[in-house]
Amino acid sequence: MKKYLTWSLIFCFILFTGTLVIAMPQGEKKQDNIMVSIATDIGGLGDKSFNDGCYAGLEKAKDELGMEIKVVESKQMTDYVPNLSGLAEDGSKLVFAVGFLMADAILESAQHYPESYFAGIDIWIDPASAPKNVLGINYKEHESGYLAGIVAGLLTKEYVTISPKLNNNNVLGMVLGMDIPPVERYQAGFYAGVMSVNPDCTVISIVTGVFDDQAKGKEATFVLAEQGADIVFQIAGLTGLGVINGAKEKGIFAIGVDVDQNYIAPETVITSAEKGVTESTFLVIKSVKEGSFKGGQNLVFGLNEDSTGISPYHGFDSVIPQKVKDKVNQAISDIKSGKIVVPSTRVEAGYNQ
Amino acid sequence: MTAREILYKYRVIVFILLFLLAGSGIILYITSYFAGLLFILLAIIIYYGFHFLLKDKRIVLSEIKSIAKKMLIPLAGITIAVLIGAVVMIITGYNPLTAYGALFYGGFVKNWHVSLLNAAPLIFTGLSVAFAFKAGLFNIGAEGQYYIGAMAAAGLGIYFDWHPLVTIPVIFLAAGLLGSLYNFFPALLKVKTGAHEVITTMMFAHIARYFSSIFIRNFGGDPSTSSHPYVTDPVLPSNWLLRFKDMFPWANYRLHSGIIIAILTAFFVHYLLSYTRIGFEIRAVGSNPAAAKTQGISTGKTVFIALMVAGFLSAMAGVNQVLGLDHKLYGNLSTGYGWNGISVALLASNHPVGVIFTSILWGALDAGGQYMARTQEVHNSIVEIIKGTVLFLVVARYLYTYWGQKRKKKETCNE
Amino acid sequence: MNDFFTLFNVELLHSTIRLSTPITLAAVGATICERAGIVNIAMEGLMLIGAFTAVFFAYITGNPWIGLLAAVIAGGIFSLLHAYATITLHLDHVVSGAVLNILALGLTNYLLILAFGHPGTSEPVPVSLAEYQFAVPFLSQIPVIGPVFFNQRPIVYMSFLLIIFFTLFLYRTKTGLHVRASGEHPLAMETIGVSVYRIRYLAVIISGLTSGLAGAFLSIENSNVFTSGMTGGRGFIALAANISGGWSAVGSFLASLFFGFAEAFQYKMQAARLLDLPSELFVMFPYIATVIAVAGLVRKSRPPKAVGLDFRIEKQAD
Repeated sequence: MKKYLTWSLIFCFILFTGTLVIAMPQGEKKQDNIMVSIATDIGGLGDKSFNDGCYAGLEKAKDELGMEIKVVESKQMTDYVPNLSGLAEDGSKLVFAVGFLMADAILESAQHYPESYFAGIDIWIDPASAPKNVLGINYKEHESGYLAGIVAGLLTKEYVTISPKLNNNNVLGMVLGMDIPPVERYQAGFYAGVMSVNPDCTVISIVTGVFDDQAKGKEATFVLAEQGADIVFQIAGLTGLGVINGAKEKGIFAIGVDVDQNYIAPETVITSAEKGVTESTFLVIKSVKEGSFKGGQNLVFGLNEDSTGISPYHGFDSVIPQKVKDKVNQAISDIKSGKIVVPSTRVEAGYNQ
Repeated sequence: MTAREILYKYRVIVFILLFLLAGSGIILYITSYFAGLLFILLAIIIYYGFHFLLKDKRIVLSEIKSIAKKMLIPLAGITIAVLIGAVVMIITGYNPLTAYGALFYGGFVKNWHVSLLNAAPLIFTGLSVAFAFKAGLFNIGAEGQYYIGAMAAAGLGIYFDWHPLVTIPVIFLAAGLLGSLYNFFPALLKVKTGAHEVITTMMFAHIARYFSSIFIRNFGGDPSTSSHPYVTDPVLPSNWLLRFKDMFPWANYRLHSGIIIAILTAFFVHYLLSYTRIGFEIRAVGSNPAAAKTQGISTGKTVFIALMVAGFLSAMAGVNQVLGLDHKLYGNLSTGYGWNGISVALLASNHPVGVIFTSILWGALDAGGQYMARTQEVHNSIVEIIKGTVLFLVVARYLYTYWGQKRKKKETCNE
Repeated sequence: MNDFFTLFNVELLHSTIRLSTPITLAAVGATICERAGIVNIAMEGLMLIGAFTAVFFAYITGNPWIGLLAAVIAGGIFSLLHAYATITLHLDHVVSGAVLNILALGLTNYLLILAFGHPGTSEPVPVSLAEYQFAVPFLSQIPVIGPVFFNQRPIVYMSFLLIIFFTLFLYRTKTGLHVRASGEHPLAMETIGVSVYRIRYLAVIISGLTSGLAGAFLSIENSNVFTSGMTGGRGFIALAANISGGWSAVGSFLASLFFGFAEAFQYKMQAARLLDLPSELFVMFPYIATVIAVAGLVRKSRPPKAVGLDFRIEKQAD
């Protein structure tokens, strides 16, 4: 009994001092600009993927549209609803929820705060039942993967002479962080892209099981190099930094993911399969500013919206044959016109690994 | 009849009134009427005043003194942690007073329900770690058993269609038994080969985490209709734990009855440890295995019981999250409930009821930290530092006894 | 079946060495520590501190050797906390280790933000230790063994040397004898006038130094950036390696090689596509191998008698 009393007294003590502290006047912040904000998922900023990409979009809006921005990093699943609701409560006109884990949270918050808009990246909402102030934003990662696959598939077979880093094995590699849907879309697209230009190519995937262990990414890359791969596509977040470094060390090429990763190793990264989170975030913010935001639906960003694709070749621009570039451009227009439908799962792509 | 006698006669009524006063204080408080705190204060003062009247004053005074002494160490630890956090904030250019105000307001007032929501799984894993600790074992892999429980809850919850009063206990029981079974292997290895449970449970935790990925893929939605097959299908609504939303029309938060189950479990574990033969044996083995052996207690059996009960409790955390909050199992989440369970158990010095308080404190730090980060734009890794330093409470207690002994020695020398 | 045997080649050995080096270093430290009677599960945190310090100093000075030195020193300093808590304050060894692991994770995350301005990863170091790879003349010409063991990077060589050094230290020097004795029978040590406290402090600091080195290997030799939580459980595997290696430096090394091998082999199996199984099963394989190794090999050896036990000297006041 005494022990409980001790603990409850400690508790009361905390409550009292805390109340004293909050009882002190706190300055109210007044704001003139429209505020937009993001609540990241538990990956948080620094993931070099969609959390960072979305934040970059906000910063762009701050610079170009004069928006006030705010970011909250969630630590656990239970933080999602209070963070989203809280941002709306703070007067945020548009709140981004990043990552499919927040799918339930965004719907719940949107119901409580009908005056604010909510946009969920990688979240698919049901247009029939979702509140009208929620927008789902999705990407066709498989399209980027497909284009990267065309580049890799052509270089590894027909144009091995352009660089001593390529070999005659006709083998390509992929390093995956975890086997989750966005990763699978990239993987399936890449495989389909390779197969479209180089049907007898061997494509090997290795799953490292983590998104933040570079040593593992590197090791997987070495194994792929040993198997004869000369271009490795990384879909592994921070593990992928190890993939790029490993490719550099082994003297083979790498393809980056999500953002243009050429800056990490300019001699190694031929191109990157991009997912234009930054651009699409900015577009949505702009629509709010212009008053044209339309919720209750899903936006799917793909090639047609210039949101997916591959990054510039940078130093390889002069090395990569015009024929490859033509093939990529052809594929872009075919996808845009609907002539090619890129598969988004391994089953559809016929990739059995 | 003197006033004292009258009071003594009606002491039950007075206690009930005090209880009501404190209770209404709490309700007022969580509905943002801070005056509620005064009610609680009043109740405590009256309680002690009552004691003064009824008992010998010297006894009561010494009682208060011993309680104050006990409070001193944790409070000193918390104060030190808060001060260190304040210094860090001043260095990095924030106003610690407003930041702490926000931390507190977010954790205990505004988002008190999130604090409790955070606390529920921590109570379970904390109990799990504490229970094993009592037997001198370190269940570092509580996270793995959490996954096992969550998988069992998702798997059963999707298909088990019956009256909730039947299904929910059965799911808890089944998941708990699976968690026990999962910890059976580390216990077996410990007893048969002496393999240290820190390593085996840790490795089993990794294995469970990766296994959950395979599980989700097999219980996941149809990839052609769902955009994200990386979650399982939702469990049937009849299997959901009762939410506060369903009970009180004004509650618009996600708090569910899991917290109540957690608190009841904590009291049950306390009962188990303190008042049963098994509990006695576990404590005996934990405090002195050699002595326990001479008393005829089988250490091997105790290892099995301790680790399997620990597995049961951690698995309940998983059920609590799946049936109460998420209603489905998400893949590859590093929940951290295992690690935080260790923290809350250590902080409560492995006392099951203490675990309730430390878990709520931890949950409130998390919820308040988010609020602070949002409103004050202070980076919430400050909260991690505060947590780390609060953990020094544990060390601080030892410091206190260490210095205390030294001082005593000096005193005896001087005499 | 033929495909299966082609998996075993020199590359696999290379891979094994790379993956096992951080485990070896930490495991050797754990050996010394446990031989002296202290359980150190804080190695995970120590490695993390070492990894961060290495990157930070290598980044600001541009010299990886300074980073390496700083990592080793930081590991040693942080391990003092464990020594103080367990030896002087008589705190439970496992409790202290767990607290330090949590503290190290929080601390490196916060310092990462302070030093580099953003969470997640640091900036890459300008020069990594990988560029100091060198082949030992003549020895590296030996087939198979030569390129694997004698054409390596600095920290890998250091790990080989440290194994030899610590084996000699434990069995051929007086201090080594004292270390072993304070883990077996501390009271006897104290009666012959050797301070058990001092020996144990020394042992914990040694494990801090080697763990710091292991962290430096992860961040500035095998990679060039620091990532939050980049040790990924290697500290615990090192503890397992020490136990399955029978509390000896050479045994720890062999066990670490085995764990490195399990992981290297796992990647090979995935790439070779000989088995059609979910990828997670392959990823799990090293952890299962660890459990089996700890359970299967530990029986042959016996832990130091006083390991993990508190030792208290009731000195007479004089």
